[in-house]
Amino acid sequence: MGEKRKKRENEEGEESVGVNSNYENNKEEKKKKEILPSMIKNKEKRSAVHAKLKHEKKLEKRKKARARDAAEKRALELGEELPPKKIPRTIENTREFDETVCKPDDEELFAGNDADEFSSILKQDRTPKVLITTCRFNSTRGPAFISELLSVIPNAHYYKRGTYDLKKIVEYANKKDFTSIIVVHTNRREPDALLIIGLPDGPTAHFKLSRLVLRKDIKNHGNPTSHEPELVLTNFTTRLGHRIGRLIQSLFPQEPNFRGRRVVTFHNQRDFIFFRHHRYIFDIKETKHTDSESKKTKNAKGETISKEKVVARLQECGPRFTLKLISLQHGTFDAKSGEYEWVHKVPLYGTETFLMMRALTDE
Amino acid sequence: MPRTTTVDCAGCPPLRALSFDVLGLIKVIEARDKQGGIPKVVERWGEPDSTKCVLAASIDDSKFNPLLAVARKNGTIEVLNPLNGDLCFSIPRVTGDDLRPENDAITGLHLFARKKLELGSRSCTLLTCTTDGNASLRSFEETSRSEFASNGIPRTWKVCKAGNILCSKVDGSENYALFGGKGVEVNVWDLDKCTEIWKAKPPHKNSLGIFTPTWFTSATFLSKDDHRKFVVGTNSHQVRLYDISAQRRPVISFDFRETPIKAVAEDLDGYTIYLGNGSGDLAAVDMRTGKLLGSFLGKCSGSIRSIVRHPEFPVIASCGLDSYVRFWDVKTRQLLCAVFLKQHLVNVLFDTNFADGGAEGSHSMGDLPAEAQNADETQNGDDETLPVKRKKASKEHKMNKKERNSMKLLKKMKEARSQNPRKVAKG
Repeated sequence: MGEKRKKRENEEGEESVGVNSNYENNKEEKKKKEILPSMIKNKEKRSAVHAKLKHEKKLEKRKKARARDAAEKRALELGEELPPKKIPRTIENTREFDETVCKPDDEELFAGNDADEFSSILKQDRTPKVLITTCRFNSTRGPAFISELLSVIPNAHYYKRGTYDLKKIVEYANKKDFTSIIVVHTNRREPDALLIIGLPDGPTAHFKLSRLVLRKDIKNHGNPTSHEPELVLTNFTTRLGHRIGRLIQSLFPQEPNFRGRRVVTFHNQRDFIFFRHHRYIFDIKETKHTDSESKKTKNAKGETISKEKVVARLQECGPRFTLKLISLQHGTFDAKSGEYEWVHKVPLYGTETFLMMRALTDE
Repeated sequence: MPRTTTVDCAGCPPLRALSFDVLGLIKVIEARDKQGGIPKVVERWGEPDSTKCVLAASIDDSKFNPLLAVARKNGTIEVLNPLNGDLCFSIPRVTGDDLRPENDAITGLHLFARKKLELGSRSCTLLTCTTDGNASLRSFEETSRSEFASNGIPRTWKVCKAGNILCSKVDGSENYALFGGKGVEVNVWDLDKCTEIWKAKPPHKNSLGIFTPTWFTSATFLSKDDHRKFVVGTNSHQVRLYDISAQRRPVISFDFRETPIKAVAEDLDGYTIYLGNGSGDLAAVDMRTGKLLGSFLGKCSGSIRSIVRHPEFPVIASCGLDSYVRFWDVKTRQLLCAVFLKQHLVNVLFDTNFADGGAEGSHSMGDLPAEAQNADETQNGDDETLPVKRKKASKEHKMNKKERNSMKLLKKMKEARSQNPRKVAKG
C-alpha cells in the first residue's frame, strides 16, 4: 500500500515539476535497485524480499554449477584440457609470506638443531624424565588434570610443590637427572597456565591453557594403556614453532611402541596448539557398494557388490586442551633476570596499534 | 586472524653491517640505493659450528686496511679482513695457568685503531677480558703469510677478585677502559699504566633497608671524547650515569621497564642513549635529564643483545635473540627494515667505509624517504629541546586541533546557510 501511494505521489510530483525531475527520477530508480531487505521496516515484506533474494541467488549458483559441469563434461568428451579449477580464497592462503618458515634444505637449521638444548634427548643419548608439579595452591581440577597428564607422558613423576621456590626445584631436578619440568598453574581451582622447562639449560616456555576437558567429561572416551605413545606435531613450521616443537618432542620417549596404538597430537593452527590424545584401531569393514546403474534397475536385479576395506577408527582418551605461547625464555626459569627469546606483546591499551587491532577483530 | 597484507619497509641509506651469531657465522648485510635501500644478506663467512659461537667482536674500520677481531667460544680470537672475510691470523687459547675453561670465556674484546705509522704493516693491538676478570693487552705483528708473532710482552692484570665480568668498554681516545659485571662494581682503568683509577660505590639501601646486589649487564661511555662520564645498565632494570669527576655513586639513576638492560649504546650528540632490554624493548633516553625520549616500536620480540649507531647516517641497528637485525631511524624512531638471519644473534657492527667505495651516489639525508624526512623536521625540535618545552609544544598542537575543528564548523555553517538560510536560523 505504502509504496503504491508513494509512487502515485511521485508521479504527481513529476507532472508538476516537469523538466527538473528527470534527473531526480533517475536517482530514485537507482535507489530502488539498491534497496536492501534490511532497510525495509515491515517484517513480513522484509522476510519475503529476503527469501526471494535468497532463492534467486540459489538458482544462480545452481546455474553456474551446471554450466561448469557441462563445460567439464564437454571438455572430457572432446578430449580437451579441463578448465582450470578455481582456488577458493581463504585466510590461510592469503596469509602474508612468513620468512621465518623453516626450509627443508637449510643447512643452518640442521646445524642449529645439533647445537640446541634438546639434541641430546632427541638423539636418544638421554631418556626423557619429566617432573610434574603445581603452583602453590592446587585443588579440584588441577590434581585431576595432573593425574591424566601422568598417564599421557611416560616416565613422568609428580612431586608436591610445597613451598619451594621454582629455582630450587630446578636445581633439585637437575641433580636427579630430570630432563624437563612441567608446572601446572591453577587459578580459581581451574588450570590456566602451563610452564615447560627444559633441563639443564633448556628454554622455558610459558603457555596459556584453556578449554580443558578432562577424560571423564568426554563422551565414549577410552582408557589409555601404558605403551609409549606416538607423537604427531603438525604445523610447527616457523623457527619459533620448530623450537617449541622440539621442546614438546623432548618430553616424550623417542621410540613409540606401535603395539599400544596410542597417539598424542599437538596441532598448531594460527598460533594455538591443540592437544588431543587418541587410541586408534584398524578395522576390516565390509562395505556394501552399489553401482549407480544397478540402482536404477534395482527392482529387476538388486545386485550389490560387497568389498573388504581397512578403516582406521579413533577413540579419544583425553584430556583435551588448547595452549597458546605467551613467552619463551632463554635458560631456565628466572623471572627477574630472564632473557626472552620471544614474548607475546600485547599492544598497550589506547595506543594506535591497540585501536587498529581492535578494529580488525571487530570486523 | 593472521595478517594478509605485507608491511612495506621504508628502506635505509646505503650501509653495510656485519652480524655475528651463536653458530659462529658472520653474515654481511648490505643495503644499496639501486635495490631501494632494502638490505640483504650478501655474504656468509664460516661454517655453522656451535663451538665457534661468537662471544665478542670489535672492528677497526680505518679507510685503509681495516681489521675485524672476533672472540669465539672455544677460546680462539680470529682477526679477519672485514671486506672479504679472509682470515689474517688466529690466536689460540692461552693455555697453562689455572684457567678453567668455563671462566675463560672472553666477554670483552677491543681492537685498537692503529696509528698512521702502523697502518702499513699488518699489526694490531687487542684488549681482551675474560669472565673471571683476566684482562690482557697484547699486540701482534704478522711476520709472513698467516703467521704472527706477539710483539712485546703481553700486559695482563686482574680486574676483579671475585664475581663475573659481563661488560667492558674502551673509550674514544682508547686510553681508558671500564669493566663491570655480576658482583663487580664498575671500575675504570688507565690502559697506559695498567692501573685502576676509579671504582664505583654501590648505591645506598632503599627506604626498606634492602640492598640490591651489584649486577651490571651493559656499559658505554656517554661521548667519544670524554672518558669521565659513562652509562651502565643493571640487571635490576636500572640505568645509571656515573661521573668520575663528581662522585663515586651514580649521578642519575632511573628504572626502565621490567627486564634487565642488555644493551646500551651512545649517540654522537653526547647525551642521547639507546637502551635495549631482555624482553625486546628499545628506547632512546636523554641522559641530561634521565627522561625517556621515546621508544622504538616494532615487532621486536626477543632480548636485544647489541645496539650500534651508524657514525654518519641517523640510523641504529639492533639485534638479539629474535634473530632479526633491525635498522631504525633515530629521529622518527621508525623501523626502516628488518633482516631475518635464522640464528640467535650476538653482535652487530657497522662497516662505515662502505658508502665511500660501494655506492657512487650521495649518501646524505636524501636517501631517506620523503615522508620520514618531513617527520624528521617536525620531531627534530622536540628531540633537542628539554621536556619542559615539549609540553608547550604539545599544547600548541592541541590548540591547532581545536582551531581546525572550529574552522570546520564555520565552513559547515557557511555551506548550510547558503543552501537553506531558514534551517540554520532554527538550529
